[in-house]
Amino acid sequence: MTSVSRHSRRLAVTAGVAVTALALAACSGGGDEGNEDDGSTGGGGSLTIGTTDKITTLDPAGSYDNGSFAVMNQVFPFLLNTPLGSPDVEPDIAESAEFTAPTEYTVKLKPGLKFANGNDLTASDVKFTFDRQIAINDPNGPASLLYNLDSTEVVDDETVVFNLKSENDQVFPQILSSPVGPIVDEDVFSADALTPDQEIVDGNAFAGPYVITSYDMNNLLSYEANPAYEGLLGEPKTEKVNVKYYAEASNLKLDISEGNIDVAFRSLSATDIEDLRSDEDVQVVDGPGGEIRYIVFNFDTQPYGAGTPDADEAKALAVRQAVASLIDRQELADQVYKGTYTPLYSFVPAGLTGATEVLKDLYGDGEGGPDVDAATQLLADAGVTTPVELSLQYSNDHYGPSSGDEYALIKDQLESSGLFSVDLQTTEWVQYSEDRTADVYPAYQLGWFPDYSDADNYLTPFFLVENFLGNHYENQDVNDMILAQASTADEGERTALIEDIQAAVAEDLSTVPYLQGAQVAVVGADVEGTQDTLDPSFKFRYGALSKG
Amino acid sequence: MTTTTPDLTAAAPGGAPAPPPRRRRTGGGLGRYILVRALLIIPTVFILVTTVFVLMRTTGDPITAALGGRLTQAQLQERIAEAGYDRPLWDQYVDYLGGILRGDFGTTLSDRRLVTDVLTDFGAATLELVFYALIVAFLVGIPLGLVAAYFRDKWGDAVLRIFAILCYATPVFFAGLLLKLVFARWLGWLPVAGRASTSTEIEMQVIDNPSGIYLIDAIRTGDPAIISDVLQHAVLPAVALGLLTAGVFLRLVRTNVIGTLGSGYVEAARSRGVGEVRLLRKHAYRPALIPIITVIGMQIALLLGGAVLTETTFEWKGLGFQLAEYLQARDFVAVQGLVAILALIVALSNFIVDVLAALIDPRVRY
Repeated sequence: MTSVSRHSRRLAVTAGVAVTALALAACSGGGDEGNEDDGSTGGGGSLTIGTTDKITTLDPAGSYDNGSFAVMNQVFPFLLNTPLGSPDVEPDIAESAEFTAPTEYTVKLKPGLKFANGNDLTASDVKFTFDRQIAINDPNGPASLLYNLDSTEVVDDETVVFNLKSENDQVFPQILSSPVGPIVDEDVFSADALTPDQEIVDGNAFAGPYVITSYDMNNLLSYEANPAYEGLLGEPKTEKVNVKYYAEASNLKLDISEGNIDVAFRSLSATDIEDLRSDEDVQVVDGPGGEIRYIVFNFDTQPYGAGTPDADEAKALAVRQAVASLIDRQELADQVYKGTYTPLYSFVPAGLTGATEVLKDLYGDGEGGPDVDAATQLLADAGVTTPVELSLQYSNDHYGPSSGDEYALIKDQLESSGLFSVDLQTTEWVQYSEDRTADVYPAYQLGWFPDYSDADNYLTPFFLVENFLGNHYENQDVNDMILAQASTADEGERTALIEDIQAAVAEDLSTVPYLQGAQVAVVGADVEGTQDTLDPSFKFRYGALSKG
Repeated sequence: MTTTTPDLTAAAPGGAPAPPPRRRRTGGGLGRYILVRALLIIPTVFILVTTVFVLMRTTGDPITAALGGRLTQAQLQERIAEAGYDRPLWDQYVDYLGGILRGDFGTTLSDRRLVTDVLTDFGAATLELVFYALIVAFLVGIPLGLVAAYFRDKWGDAVLRIFAILCYATPVFFAGLLLKLVFARWLGWLPVAGRASTSTEIEMQVIDNPSGIYLIDAIRTGDPAIISDVLQHAVLPAVALGLLTAGVFLRLVRTNVIGTLGSGYVEAARSRGVGEVRLLRKHAYRPALIPIITVIGMQIALLLGGAVLTETTFEWKGLGFQLAEYLQARDFVAVQGLVAILALIVALSNFIVDVLAALIDPRVRY
């Protein structure tokens, strides 16, 4: 009994102290998370950014996702990079970069480059970076982007030569600015295995605009400007940046609307963004986005496809053209995505060099809207009996929670014309990925986020004879033009080729693109520079932001 | 009154001194009890980890679950072979058990962390939340249980019994959402989510070797504003999770107090004129608490299960939150490892509670 009473007393005391503290805390004031001297309100060179993105790893060889790449863009240097406001690459920590032979791309580094830990950044680090990417070849990493790299050679401390497999690869400079391009410190990183995040942070192996001063993975990261950075982006406008990682977009919205953070970037819901547009305490800043949504047609199994009993190429084309004429892109953007996506009228999204609006001219009402009469005429001319039975698939777990609404609306748009009867089905992504390349789906949803901000990344993977869609689309002329643009050094000539490719594919309609994602940042009323970094490079640079 | 009890120490017939009475063995002492309870952990954990392994494998291999749809079939097969998931299930199971015996619960597929590192990184947050929740459960469940017993079968008792049922029948995520709506959104008294505000977390970064238990780290900063902020963030998650157990405690205390209030020694005290409040406070209350200790073991399992939902609802970045993240990423290696670790924790805490109960109440060990 004595032990019980002593135990109970101790328990009661502990509980009493704790509950008193809890009660006092609860009563001591409510909900205001702002702190006078924190990053969010301190001014004088500090900012707090919130995001729902997640970091997989800081090691560039082990991640190929937005959350990880966002960090890499702040702390690692690139040989070539996109300046603010442009999708086209320029030397970053390189002094020069050029083809010195058809399969030799020579990069000369700026002299005296250093990592934040004091280690020299030399051509040896550059070779180490790309050699380890290939050696590790992590399935979650971006090593596949180095498909055209044969070897890397060090000429001297400041000169490195990339030996390429194919000649005059105009995409290679873009690849050097992509997720495979961050240059790492050979004294800190492992040559043949991924390096743990904490070792990277402890080793201070950074040479980008910022260094990481505190790392609590997927919770809170603190950055400080790196005085040793001598690259294209220049000195950051803000000395200290903290990034808070949220699990719920609703909490991110709450914190930006209450002023607890200065910037919310990726990914507030469309409804939240629409709501915040009317909030006077914040600014909603829109910029072009690289993500696109499109419908893929399987040329074998679509209505009148080559593998169907009533195969007819002309009728199959008419079906695709009718779909392209009936989809109301603006309605999809407004109703489903509240303006966080914009209508897309070509295969290369707006903002990139060479982008056109070829589908706007060819289909629908000629001004981007749907046109039932045009669609009816196309089907009638080809002798297609209506309504066309179309089986349409979408993924319910890969492209966000709005996919259901998106495809319900597309079904409605097609069926309300009286020309289509749509059998809409959805499948979970793992199965979906297998089925779509196994000719199971006649027409289906896909989305694409670019590896690098160049038109080539929206053409090569899709429209070469051997493409990742596996939809049996073959057009040798298109194939040849795609290969030609990839090795055409003259900028004007290459742009013309890219336009021609879009025009040719628009005639065939292997896919029907319909939406382009916008980049949306919500920032405090006193935050400046957001528009500068919401550019077609799709890289969000913290150094461009400042508080007025 | 005369006693009829025979005198066992009386001399045996014939005048020879009787041998000392042999104490009847009723299962051994505390040491034996602890040993048996400790040995029982082994089959418990074995069954739990085996169940986890079998359940995880019924959905296919972890590589396809995590990376299916992102890699080609050939790449998937290569990765499956590399990880050894193409071997017979029995071989994989033996490897899995061997790993657990060596303290190796695997490496997560999605972010390549040792599962044991995940435990050390996030365990402190969960421990802190469970501690707060237990405090809430004690503070709500025990006094209200006493009150219910005191007003037995009156309207106050009925209200409290309904309250108890609501506490443990309401899904913890629903209770969490409701609390957030009322106290964070409508009244604005408390923060909506997180373990601390961003500014506090930034401030706490200066601490060397942080414990991961925010309250301790906040106290180490010596800043009352930081301590207050941390405690404010703890209130709603603690209440949401604590009420789950408070309902159980309330009913348990009520039943036990009613039982002890009717026992002989309480009746004797009552007959001596001891007042009802004093009877409750001094005589019935303490014995009624003993069963609480014994159910805490089971409640820890309930709290850890509830922590997954509470942590997700409140963005409390602990083990439960992380488990939900891994589930979402289909990282079944991580899920399997974490569930196995949690099972181990539950088994160990049950053992500790059993030992404590045996120490407090000798009847338990016989």
